[in-house]
Amino acid sequence: MKKLIILSVLLISVCCSEENATPTAPLTTNNDFDPSMATLIKSGTLVGVGHTVSGTAALYESAGKKVVLLDPFSSQNGPDLKVYLSKDQNASQYISLGKLKTTTGKQSYEVPGNPDVTDYDFVLIWCEQFSVLFGKAELL
Amino acid sequence: MIRTLLFALIGFLYAGLACAQSSTTQNSINLGLAFGASQGSLSAAFAHDWYLGKKKKFILGTGGRFTAYVAQNQYYETAPAKLTSGGTGLGVLFEETITANIDTFLISSPNVYAINAFINLGYQFSEKFSVGFNIDAIGFSFGGEKQGNYINGSQGQLTTATPTSFNLLLISDNDLGSLNSELYGKYKINEQWSIRAGVQFLFTEYTTKTEVQQFPEPNDRFRNKSLMIMIGASFKLK
Repeated sequence: MKKLIILSVLLISVCCSEENATPTAPLTTNNDFDPSMATLIKSGTLVGVGHTVSGTAALYESAGKKVVLLDPFSSQNGPDLKVYLSKDQNASQYISLGKLKTTTGKQSYEVPGNPDVTDYDFVLIWCEQFSVLFGKAELL
Repeated sequence: MIRTLLFALIGFLYAGLACAQSSTTQNSINLGLAFGASQGSLSAAFAHDWYLGKKKKFILGTGGRFTAYVAQNQYYETAPAKLTSGGTGLGVLFEETITANIDTFLISSPNVYAINAFINLGYQFSEKFSVGFNIDAIGFSFGGEKQGNYINGSQGQLTTATPTSFNLLLISDNDLGSLNSELYGKYKINEQWSIRAGVQFLFTEYTTKTEVQQFPEPNDRFRNKSLMIMIGASFKLK
C-alpha cells in the first residue's frame, strides 16, 4: 500500500505540470466577430469556481450561425482549458467549442453544427484533462 | 504481437502437458512494478511452473495474479469488437479498427484492481537467466466509481463508470474486462531470489452507468491499453 501511495504521488506530480497551458496574450488575429452585426440570444456574467475567472459570455446568432463571445474576459491559466456550451454547470451534457484561445481579452467561438441551443444555458471554462470547472456563466 | 505469443503459448501448453510427467515444478511469488506515461501498476502473483523437456528448459506455468492500476487522465476507447472491428469472430484479428465507431471516455483518476488466473510460458537459457511471457485468462475486477467525460466529437457529457466486473481473455477486442500480460527476462541472484524486467501490456476496462455511446449502437464499455516498463522480483518458495 505504501508503494501504491508513493506511486500515486509521483504520478500526480508529473501530471500536474502545465505543459498544455493556454496562451495568455490577447488575440491579434481571428478576433473579428462584430456583435453589433449579430443578434444577441442570451448572455451572462462569468464567475470563477475555485479559480479566478471574470468577464461576460454571450451567445449570438449571426448569418445562420451561433457564436459564443467572451468579452471582456480573464481567466487563471491551467492545463487543457476548453470552452463548453453546456446544459448545466456540471457539464452533464455539453457542446465543446474548442480550446480556450487565450486567458485574456476578447475571443469568439462558433458553435459547431448549428444545434438548437435553447437548453444550453451555461458557458463553462473547463479543464478537460482533469475534469475541473474553472469558471461559469449562466446565460439569461 | 501479444496474440501471436498467446497462440505460441497455447501450443506449448499442449506440448507441455504431453510431457508433464517428466517435469520438475517450482512455486514462486512474483512481484512487479510497472510504469508509463501518467500511469503505473503493482502486481503480485503466485506462480506454479513446470520445467519441461529433456534439459528442463521449457517453462509452462499458471497461477493467480493481483494487479492494481493507478493513473491520471487516461483516455478509454470504445471496447466491444463488434464496434471496433465490425464483428466478433476470428476475423477480428485481421480487421482494421473502424475509427468512426470509436468514442472516447476520459477518466481523470482511473483505479482498477483485478484478480485473474494467468498462464505463463518461458525458456531457461542458462542456470541464471530465463525469459517468459504470461497473460491473464479469467478473473474479476473491482474499484470505485469514477467520474469521466464521454467525448463524441464536439458533443460530450459527464457520467460515472465502474471497472467492468468480469474478465475473460478471448480474441482481440472480444476480450472482456481488465487483463494483464508481461514479456520479461528473469535473472537469478541467489537460490531464492530473482529479478525480473520487461514490458507490461495491461488492459483496463470501465463500464459507464448508462449507454452513453449511441452510434452505431448503444455501448457502455470503454477500454484502455497501457504499454509500460516493468521491473520486479521473484521469490522461490520451498
